[in-house]
Amino acid sequence: MSENILTIEKPRLEAINLTKRYRDGVLALDNISFSVQPGEIFVMLGGNGAGKTTTINLFLNFIEPTEGEARIDGIITHKDPLAAKERVSFVSENVMLYGDFTAVQNLDYFSRIGGQSEYTKDDYRDALLRVNLAEEAHHKKLRGFSKGMRQKCGIAIAILKGAPAILLDEPTSGLDPKAGHDFIHLLKSLQKEGKSILMSTHDIFRAKAIADTIAIMNNGRIIMLKKSSELAGCNLEELYMQYMTGHDGQRLAG
Amino acid sequence: MLITLIEKELKAILQSPKFVATFAVCSLLMLLSVFIGIKEFQAQQKQYDVAVSLSEQGIQESTSWRGMSYKAYRKPDPMQIFVSGLTNDIGRWSHISQESSVKLRNSVYSDDPIFSVFRFIDFAFIVQVVLSLFAILFTYDAICGERENGTLKLLFSNAIKRSHYIIAKCVGSWLGLVVPIMIPILLSVLMVIAFGISLEGSDWLKLFGLMSMSIFLFTFFIVLGVFISSLTRRSNISFLFALVIWVTFVLIIPRAGVMAAGQILPVPRVAEIEGQRDAFAKDKWAIFNEKSMARWDSYNQNTSEDSDSSCGSNFVFDENELWEHMQKEDSARKIVEREIEAYETRLQEDLQQRKSGQERLAFSLSRFSPSSAYQLAAMTLAGTDINLKSRNIEVMNNYRTQFNNYVDNKISETNDLSGVFMIEISSDDGVKMNNKRDEQTIDASDMPKYIPAKSSMRQSIDALIIDGGLLGLFIILAFAGAFLRMQKYDVR
Ligand SMILES: Nc1ncnc2c1ncn2[C@@H]1O[C@H](COP(=O)(O)OP(=O)(O)OP(=O)(O)O)[C@@H](O)[C@H]1O
Ligand SMILES: [Mg+2]
Repeated sequence: MSENILTIEKPRLEAINLTKRYRDGVLALDNISFSVQPGEIFVMLGGNGAGKTTTINLFLNFIEPTEGEARIDGIITHKDPLAAKERVSFVSENVMLYGDFTAVQNLDYFSRIGGQSEYTKDDYRDALLRVNLAEEAHHKKLRGFSKGMRQKCGIAIAILKGAPAILLDEPTSGLDPKAGHDFIHLLKSLQKEGKSILMSTHDIFRAKAIADTIAIMNNGRIIMLKKSSELAGCNLEELYMQYMTGHDGQRLAG
Repeated sequence: MLITLIEKELKAILQSPKFVATFAVCSLLMLLSVFIGIKEFQAQQKQYDVAVSLSEQGIQESTSWRGMSYKAYRKPDPMQIFVSGLTNDIGRWSHISQESSVKLRNSVYSDDPIFSVFRFIDFAFIVQVVLSLFAILFTYDAICGERENGTLKLLFSNAIKRSHYIIAKCVGSWLGLVVPIMIPILLSVLMVIAFGISLEGSDWLKLFGLMSMSIFLFTFFIVLGVFISSLTRRSNISFLFALVIWVTFVLIIPRAGVMAAGQILPVPRVAEIEGQRDAFAKDKWAIFNEKSMARWDSYNQNTSEDSDSSCGSNFVFDENELWEHMQKEDSARKIVEREIEAYETRLQEDLQQRKSGQERLAFSLSRFSPSSAYQLAAMTLAGTDINLKSRNIEVMNNYRTQFNNYVDNKISETNDLSGVFMIEISSDDGVKMNNKRDEQTIDASDMPKYIPAKSSMRQSIDALIIDGGLLGLFIILAFAGAFLRMQKYDVR
């Protein structure tokens, strides 16, 4: 798992002609391709039902692609899911953990499951402090946690796994403004460690603040894919609205 | 990895709030049932001891070999503490004598019908009904519950084999439920020892067998719960599903098996058999009567011809001829009687055969439910099974033969005329009734001893192999189902 920020040629996450048609006929993803380099933050924007969660689920092999493939470090996820999953951490839009276990017990369990069995109590404490979970909550049962507290635990678990790629599906939903702000810093520091981050969000401002690359998705297609450097100075919200209406207009016309 | 998964399942069960309450209720019920079983057994044992010594005293005090009668008692089996089975339905004793045939009388339920309304709650019942529910309650949402919680997604974002996950679910739940339940099981065995109930070597083996079968049934319901949880995506549906399957296995199939067997292989009722015999007898007698009339007519013709040739109106009564005719009639009648008797025996044999066929079918059908397989095995192990009655009657019948031979020998040896009233008629005293050797008791110390029936080890081993094997098969099937379902289970 050596990560080299300089090997730009070898993408860590890759979607190649990824297509997913659900069994009920819905075409959720229509031939999308993109790649995420080590140390890159890739943000997916898009309305409800655009296909963001479907993309992340394909990287985790929760579903199989109808066509194309998702790769992690060159490993095709639906061919060798176990090897692929060793290289990725995941934070869902609504992190759920074991209610009868404390925060630390949950961290301990999921770290072991993630292949990290040599962590100590201090490591768990540090990880929880890093995501700004107040210390008095560390040994409380998860049952009583708020959504934001759970989200923080989920992020701590993802950090502890130490995988080179991190997939986040609307991770900031449920975080208070301060926590959302802290979260951006956290992602930046993970980026500095060389992690590749693929994240979906509805929060255009945060997206602009942290993304290296932004993809706007609609109806299972990437309708805009731009580096943050290309977007410097322009109003992303306006651009987003333009793309969305423009695309919809196109669809209505066609 | 597997160890981590198992450990977590174990912890999840032990830490869940419902565990302590459910476990306490199960343990309490189990111990209570054994306690009641012990008390009941001790009362029956005491009653048995008193009755046997009374019965022996009766023999010692009897004054005549003729009309001598012994009361043979069914011995209470300490295993009935755990599985009362049919022991309360079947009579406790029978007369053994030359006159009356063996018949078990006075069952607990016939003496105290109040008990038969709700029947005894025994250990086997607790295992069958309460423990199985306990198992299902903890496993019905094993997989779909985790999916609903969303933990399944997080779990499978890691490099976990699905096979490991399902094995861990079963093994972890098993350890988390079976190890704690061993405590009340061991305590109930200790209780038996503490109450001073003496168990023989074979009893210990049977007890061990019973406990193993109980754990087997418990295991089945644990794995079944996991399987059901893999069939659905929502835990409330899975709960309903589990409940329906539980009711089917525990309450419906055992009864339906017996009812279906009754429909498929009907056995005629006693009244039907009697009707058949009467009809047969009626036919036979009608034919006999007809023939008898014909014979009488021909006999009359012969005699009247004879009388015609001799003295005309003067009828000569030939006593020899009539006697001969009567004897012929008598033997013809006896033949008919024997025919009817043979027919009745055939009917009875046929009935017995059909009954045992029906029994076999009923048990085979009800074995589609693991709980009835368990119930059958438990009853066999405890010796309170369906053969309890026939086993006792057989031993009593054998004893009756011995007893009767012994008494016959004694009567001829001692030329015993006791019990026979002699009527002496003398010119001095007139008529005098005399019962010879009236006051003297007889010496029956060498009378063969009655050894009560005991269930055989062989049958117990058979039950363990057949029903234990069946339970094992059910466990494997449920596990295979859960395993296969998990491979395709949508974790989202
Ligand atoms: N299991 C499923 N079966 C059938 N169709 C599905 C399934 N999951 C998602 N879809 C459809 O696929 C499309 C993309 O859904 P997806 O969840 O990827 O959207 P999203 O971009 O994550 O939306 P949101 O912002 O609301 O989370 C939608 O039209 C949705 O209805
Ligand atoms: Mg989504």
